[in-house]
Amino acid sequence: MKRLTHKLLAMVPTSILCLPVTLWAAGDKATNIVVVADTRRVTGVMKYFSNLYNTDILMYAIWAVILTAAMGCILGFLMDFIMERTGLDLKSRKIIEH
Amino acid sequence: MDASWLYMFMPIAGVQIFWPGLVLIGFSVGTIGGFFGMGGAWMVTPGLNILGFPMAFAIGTDIAHIAGKSMVSTIRHSKFGNVDYKLGFIMIIGTMIGIECGAQIVMWLERLGQVGPVVRWVYVGFLFLISLMVFSDYAKAHKKKKQGIVEGEKGVEGFTWYKTLHKIKIPPMVHFKASGIYCSAWLPILVSFTTGVLAGFLGIGGGLLRMPALIYFIGVPTHIAVGTDLFEVMISGLYGAFTYTLKGRIELVAVFVMLTGAAIGAQIGTVATKYAKGYGIRLAFGVAVLCCMISIILKQFKFEMSAAILILGTISTICVYIVAIMLKGAAAELRAKKANAQMAAQA
Amino acid sequence: MKRIMAQSLAMLAVILLVVTAASAAEVSQGKCLQYDKTAMKITIEEYDIQFSKEAPYGRPTGVQSVFDVAKAQIGITPQPGDILRLAYDQNGADKIAIKVMNVSKQDLKKK
Repeated sequence: MKRLTHKLLAMVPTSILCLPVTLWAAGDKATNIVVVADTRRVTGVMKYFSNLYNTDILMYAIWAVILTAAMGCILGFLMDFIMERTGLDLKSRKIIEH
Repeated sequence: MDASWLYMFMPIAGVQIFWPGLVLIGFSVGTIGGFFGMGGAWMVTPGLNILGFPMAFAIGTDIAHIAGKSMVSTIRHSKFGNVDYKLGFIMIIGTMIGIECGAQIVMWLERLGQVGPVVRWVYVGFLFLISLMVFSDYAKAHKKKKQGIVEGEKGVEGFTWYKTLHKIKIPPMVHFKASGIYCSAWLPILVSFTTGVLAGFLGIGGGLLRMPALIYFIGVPTHIAVGTDLFEVMISGLYGAFTYTLKGRIELVAVFVMLTGAAIGAQIGTVATKYAKGYGIRLAFGVAVLCCMISIILKQFKFEMSAAILILGTISTICVYIVAIMLKGAAAELRAKKANAQMAAQA
Repeated sequence: MKRIMAQSLAMLAVILLVVTAASAAEVSQGKCLQYDKTAMKITIEEYDIQFSKEAPYGRPTGVQSVFDVAKAQIGITPQPGDILRLAYDQNGADKIAIKVMNVSKQDLKKK
């Protein structure tokens, strides 16, 4: 077993060296795709954001990050509030490895 | 019956999507992510694909949703004391530089024209190594336990490579209180850099690599490895969401729909770690990694459908397993609490 | 602490809204009739938004519009017959395209 692990460990750097790689997990290679959101079909907030997507992608990106973070926080604290109602102890835990 | 209310219009992708499906995907990946401390982009993409989501938007949408979801889990893990912020911040440096280097290497190789299916096989190789490591570690720990060997206060452990790595004493030496380890600051930086390079170059979030690296090379207890890794996933996820949005590859509406499901799942998955033993988490993680590996092999041989079925099957199985752990543990705790209250009332 | 964070987030959101409310582009979709690469003009026949199984891209309206695409970001090169979607700014009588999407060639619905 020990020898096997040693061998495997030796394989790690070797395999790193022979990695001719592409961003495989990122899916198909990006061709020149331009997307225009169809603002004729949506109204209100959606229209505002679709429009932003078409005209000012940087602003849209900033918005996306802020909104995602805000949504994560809101949902996180909301769920926290609900979980506390169940009466479970959510502040401590024992670490048992085996 | 009119079922059109079950479909939602995605303004940017311009498709109608079955939204309960999005909530369900969010929920399952939230549960699994909260339990294992990984993003799980590889699990979301086939699901989105089946729902009819255009591939061009799948990845960006994935990453943004993962960032939001990790935030929910990190908040919860943080309350348990499972996040080692000091370690997390030190590792961000390595992770960020690493991911950039990885991406640069990819671009350099692309210019050389050396791109091929080799990548997939290397990826498979890594996943194989990780799962092998997890399982053999489990076997070793199991054997030790049978023989009655217990070292340290953490209980039985299989591989203790980190003990050797901790002997390298290059200043500055740092004490990580939450994880209870004392080592050279260069160790986490180096580990995060290496996992970052690999992640950037394989185009994955890196939770899959970082979680075991934290356990085996830095010696972080499993629970804290999960929490700290989620913190990393959150930061790199937000960064990734930003860059993908700049390329226009994101559907914000879908992100929010998925997040609502993920928030619930993340709570369940995170609370479930309280009732699980470290090795239980490690073992289930090994199974997940193994399935990821098999699905990539299937994809390589163009069995797209079976790959998707395998991934979705694994997700649901692991998800049910985690929910069961959570419910069982919670029920036991509430029962014990009630019994205690009764005892107190009688006394 | 939480309150300060929430407040600053809200502030940021308001500022962003004010800053970004200014620009608004029009969108129009239709069949490409001509793509003049030297003059950088695209002529399309506009379609309406009555989508159906028979007319997935809308129905032809008969209205022809010319767009200036000199500064536009263009995806897959348009050819006569392709269905295009353009985001543009109306500048007097001119229509200045910002982005040109080749809807039929790109076909996002295909995975």
